[in-house]
Amino acid sequence: MAIIRPRLNDFFELPFTQEEVSFAIPFLDEDIPLYIDPFLLWKSPSQQDYSLHKSVVDSFNSIGKQFLSSKEGDSINTLIFASECDEIGLGDSKTKTGKRIGESLAHEILKLFKDIPQIRESGFIHFEEIQFFVNNMGRDRISDITANLVKSFLIDFTIDQCIKLGIPNEPANVKVFDHRTHSFRDEEVTLPRNPYSKQPIILVPKRWLRHIPYINFEDYYDKQFVKDTDKLPSRVEVLDFNRQNYDIVQAYVQVKERQQADCKNDLLFSQIPVKSAKGKLNTILKLPTGKTDNADRKYEDNLSQLLASLLYPHFDFAKEQSRTDSGTLIRDLIFYNNRSYPFLKDIYDEYNCRQIVVEMKNVAKLEREHINQLYRYLGEQFGRFGIIFTRNNPPKNIIQNTIDLWSSKRNCILILTDEDLAFMCEVFESKNRNPIDVIKSKYIKFTQVLPS
Amino acid sequence: MNIGEIENFEKVFFQLQGLHTEIGLLSKGKPNDALNKFKLKLINQVLADANKILGERYKPFPDFYIFDEDELPTNSDVTFIISQYLGCMENLRVDNIEYNRQWMGKKNAATWYWKDTEIITHPPLNIKK
Repeated sequence: MAIIRPRLNDFFELPFTQEEVSFAIPFLDEDIPLYIDPFLLWKSPSQQDYSLHKSVVDSFNSIGKQFLSSKEGDSINTLIFASECDEIGLGDSKTKTGKRIGESLAHEILKLFKDIPQIRESGFIHFEEIQFFVNNMGRDRISDITANLVKSFLIDFTIDQCIKLGIPNEPANVKVFDHRTHSFRDEEVTLPRNPYSKQPIILVPKRWLRHIPYINFEDYYDKQFVKDTDKLPSRVEVLDFNRQNYDIVQAYVQVKERQQADCKNDLLFSQIPVKSAKGKLNTILKLPTGKTDNADRKYEDNLSQLLASLLYPHFDFAKEQSRTDSGTLIRDLIFYNNRSYPFLKDIYDEYNCRQIVVEMKNVAKLEREHINQLYRYLGEQFGRFGIIFTRNNPPKNIIQNTIDLWSSKRNCILILTDEDLAFMCEVFESKNRNPIDVIKSKYIKFTQVLPS
Repeated sequence: MNIGEIENFEKVFFQLQGLHTEIGLLSKGKPNDALNKFKLKLINQVLADANKILGERYKPFPDFYIFDEDELPTNSDVTFIISQYLGCMENLRVDNIEYNRQWMGKKNAATWYWKDTEIITHPPLNIKK
C-alpha cells in the first residue's frame, strides 16, 4: 500500500516519532531538506563531536597537502568522491541521487592550498570557508563532504540506532575515508536499505542539521564585506577579493566563533507558539464561509499551520497536497500515524490507518458529496479513517451518512468544526489535555451512535 | 444515618464544597478549557463516594455516575455537576436532621442535630448554585 512521502519507519511499520529519535528519519523517495553544518560539530559541548570536527578538518587539510605534494590527481579524485554522499539523503533532491563535483571545481578548491599562503601554511580551521573563495560551493557540498569524512562514525551511529529501534539492516558495501591513506576504501558493513532504490541508508544525528550553514556566503556578504554603494560587486568578484584578502575572511570567522551561542540546529518541524495559534484561530473564526475574497484559501492556509502544530509530535506532518475530484479542487493535510498515542494505535488497528487524511472544507453546510469525496480518496491508500474540518455542525442527514458509511464499509469519517478547533486551541494553550484528545472524544461520541 | 455514615457524609460534602470553589474559579477564567486528568481522577473519586451516599433516590441524574475522561469535560461542565451534587447532598442532609428549641438567655434558639444522635449540624442551607 503506497503512502504519501513514506519514511523509513513507515515502510518497516516501526512506531516511533521524529520527536522521539535522535536522528532525522529519512524519506524513502526524496531527500530531507536539511544539511550537516560542520560548525555545529565544532561548537558542540560534546567532546566526541568536537573531535569529529577536528577529524573532518584534518582529513580535508590532508587532501590539500596531498595536492601540494606530487599526488595531485589522487587528491582531486578523493575530493570529487567526497563531494556527494547519497546514503545520508540530505538536501533538496527529489530523486535521492546527487551529482559529484567536476574535476575543474575540485582542482579550483584544492588550488586554494597553493594560492592562499595562510591555508598553505596551516590549513583550514573551518573548511566551509571554501564557499568564500570558490563558486558553486553550496551547503549541500559542505554537508556531503562532512558526511563522507565522518562516515565511519555515522555508520556506527546507524548500526546503534538500528539495534535500539529494531530497524532491519543488511550487509552493504560503502566507501569510507581512510585517515591513514587519505583516500576512500571499501568497507563491508550492515546498514538499513531503502526498500525502493536498494541504496544503503546512513542516519544523521538531528543535532548536526541546519537549513543553511552558520558560516555562509550570504551572511558574510551582508555583514563583513564592505561594498561600494555605486556598484555592487558580482559574486565572482567577491570570491576573487576574498582569495586576495584572507585576513578579512578570518576576521569574519572569528566573529562567528565568538557568536557561537547563536548557532542552533534546525528542527524538521517547529510548533508555532500559543500566541500565534490563537491568532490563527481568530483569523479562521472571522473568515466567511465560501470563496468570497479567497476565504477558502485563507481557511486552508491557516488551518494547515494550526493543525500541524496542535497535533505535533504525535501526528508528524507529512504533506499538504491538492487533488481534484469530480472537477473540484480539494486540499488535504496528510499526517503520519506513528501509533505513539493509544488512540492512534486504536485507529491503526481498527481502520488500518497508516496516514491520517484531513480534508478542509470552508463551507457553511457540509454536503453528502463532501463525505463521499473523502470516502473515495481514503479507499485508495490510506486506510479507512479520515477527518473533515468544516465551519459549522453538520446537518443530521450528513451525520447519518457517516454512520451509514461505517455500517456498510467500516469507514470512519469524523467531522470536526470551528467549535472543536477552538477547544483544541484552548487545551493546547492550557496544556491540561492533548489536542488529540479532542479528536478522540469526537471519535468516542461517533462510536456511541453507531448501531451495535 | 449512623455515626459512621454521618462522618462519611460530612467528609464528602466538604470535599465537594472545596472542589466547587476551586473548579468554580477555573471556570470563571476559562469555562471551555478541559480539566487535566489528575484533577478529573480526584473529582471522580469524590463523585463515586457521593453516589454511594446519595443512592438512586437522591442522585441528581440517573444517567450520570462519574466523568468519562475521554469525553474531555470542561471546567464549566464539572462546576455544573458538582453544584448539582451539592444540592442533592443538602437535600439528603435536610431529610436527616432535626432541631431542638431551648431558651438561650432571652430568646428561643434552635439547635440542629443529626436525627437520633447528639451530633450538632448547621441549619438547612440554600446552596449557592
